Amino acid sequence: MSIFSSKRPRSPTETVGIDAGEPLITHEDVQRGRDRQRVLAARAQRGPFAGFRLLWLLLGPGILVMLGENDGPSMLSYAATGARYGIGFFLPFIVLTFVMATVIQEMTVRIGAATHCGHAELIFARFGPFWGRFSTIDLAIGNFLTLITEFVAIRAGLGFFGIRPWVAVSCAVMILYFAILTHRYWTWERITLAIAAFNLVFIPLALIGGPDWNSVGRSFISWRPLPGGLTNDTLLIIVANIGATVTPWMLFFQQSATVDKGLTRGDIRFGRIDTALGATLAAASALGMIVVTAPLFALHMSTQNFEAAEFAQALQPLIGRCGAVLFSLGIVEAGIVAAITISASSAYAFGEVAGKPHSLNLSMREGRSFYSVLFLSVAAAAAVVLIPGLPLVRVVLIVNVVATLAMPPALVFLYMLANDKEIMGDLVSPRWANILASAVVVLLTTAGLLFGISVLAPRVLTALAEHTAH
Amino acid sequence: MIRKPALSEELDSSSAANQSVLDSLEPDQLVATRARPFPRRKLKRSEIVLFWALRLYLLFMIAVVIYQLWISNR
Repeated sequence: MSIFSSKRPRSPTETVGIDAGEPLITHEDVQRGRDRQRVLAARAQRGPFAGFRLLWLLLGPGILVMLGENDGPSMLSYAATGARYGIGFFLPFIVLTFVMATVIQEMTVRIGAATHCGHAELIFARFGPFWGRFSTIDLAIGNFLTLITEFVAIRAGLGFFGIRPWVAVSCAVMILYFAILTHRYWTWERITLAIAAFNLVFIPLALIGGPDWNSVGRSFISWRPLPGGLTNDTLLIIVANIGATVTPWMLFFQQSATVDKGLTRGDIRFGRIDTALGATLAAASALGMIVVTAPLFALHMSTQNFEAAEFAQALQPLIGRCGAVLFSLGIVEAGIVAAITISASSAYAFGEVAGKPHSLNLSMREGRSFYSVLFLSVAAAAAVVLIPGLPLVRVVLIVNVVATLAMPPALVFLYMLANDKEIMGDLVSPRWANILASAVVVLLTTAGLLFGISVLAPRVLTALAEHTAH
Repeated sequence: MIRKPALSEELDSSSAANQSVLDSLEPDQLVATRARPFPRRKLKRSEIVLFWALRLYLLFMIAVVIYQLWISNR
């Protein structure tokens, strides 16, 4: 059978028959059913904390996708942004990118809850294998490159403590395997959420640095300054920052996780809260990173080839030894959480298009292909990072740029699925969501084209920037 | 390490236990039901043009990125 199958045959070993005529129930169904029973019980409860209990049970995919996207390369992009451009333009710009991410990710919650199908699966089913293959190949390449950069971040973060690269990478792989080996979506989600909470360390670090609150406030009103104007380097960092917030794996991950968690139409409100909460936390963390590294810009420090350890060392006089340690651990956490979520998105997508079982509720025997993709993608990416002499900093920025460039085609599929009445029924996107989603596609395409012009015809870009200034 | 029970151990074959799973899940959440894919939709000509335009955009931009890597390494 081709790996790109539009049907999903089931392995006979995974099912348990009941009486003839009744539906077959799998181990995966039982695990998901247990999670749903707790949700239904919480829904029936009354009292001041009933809503919080329900929210606690239903949140997860949104926070994970947003904090997962605050990954190693993203945090290093934000660090490079703060150190090279200060806080002016980029603070409000980062907030804007997270608003875009919320608009996009909300659609995946709606589609997942309405159809109970993963993103790759729906693209194959509705648009056919020809376009499905393109989107899956885009995802596979993008995910593998991004996974490599996660291990770059982990290696660089632990490098601050003098830990050898192979030890650092091996530890990260073991943590990742530990999370997966629970064979239970709920446990996997809670372990990953607990690790992801450490992403918020950049908020207190920014406060320790004692930011100039007047400048922070002014930047949100004026969106300035943008030192150096609109140059190739500036556009590279703008596009990298967009790619640090909205990337194709997020669409695939959140929709598949929504399905694996078992969210239904009645849970969409909580899915939206989960997504918005995740975006708020991730944006606060990203802003914290820019603010904490902004003093390096004020000191005119050259950070062109900085990795995480160098950033931590440069910041140590400003935030102290303890702050530098937390900074490095924050980068490591960013890499680990993203590696967990990105490898899961690859495994989900593979299972969906290959017609193989795909759930974190599967046992190792039932989900052999699902876990194999997960393990192998992680192991291969980890191995690449150990190759000596790799230009790591440039690779990190370029991966984010590629993610931004791959977004418009992925977004058009998402947009069309979210407006597909046949599968969405009354949950099709409202007009305001379509306007916002279209604006995001236009913005991303324009940013990509401007980046292209800046590379191929830098003089045209300079003339364009001067014309705009006048 | 805690041993994972085998399917036959874990799943109570009694109708009541299975019924509680069925009650807590929506019918199309069951793996057996999800095996039926959605039908393929017919794409309009404008949609196919848009898909191709975006595909070409992506290929062109990837070439630009490779070119930039090449000139920055020169």
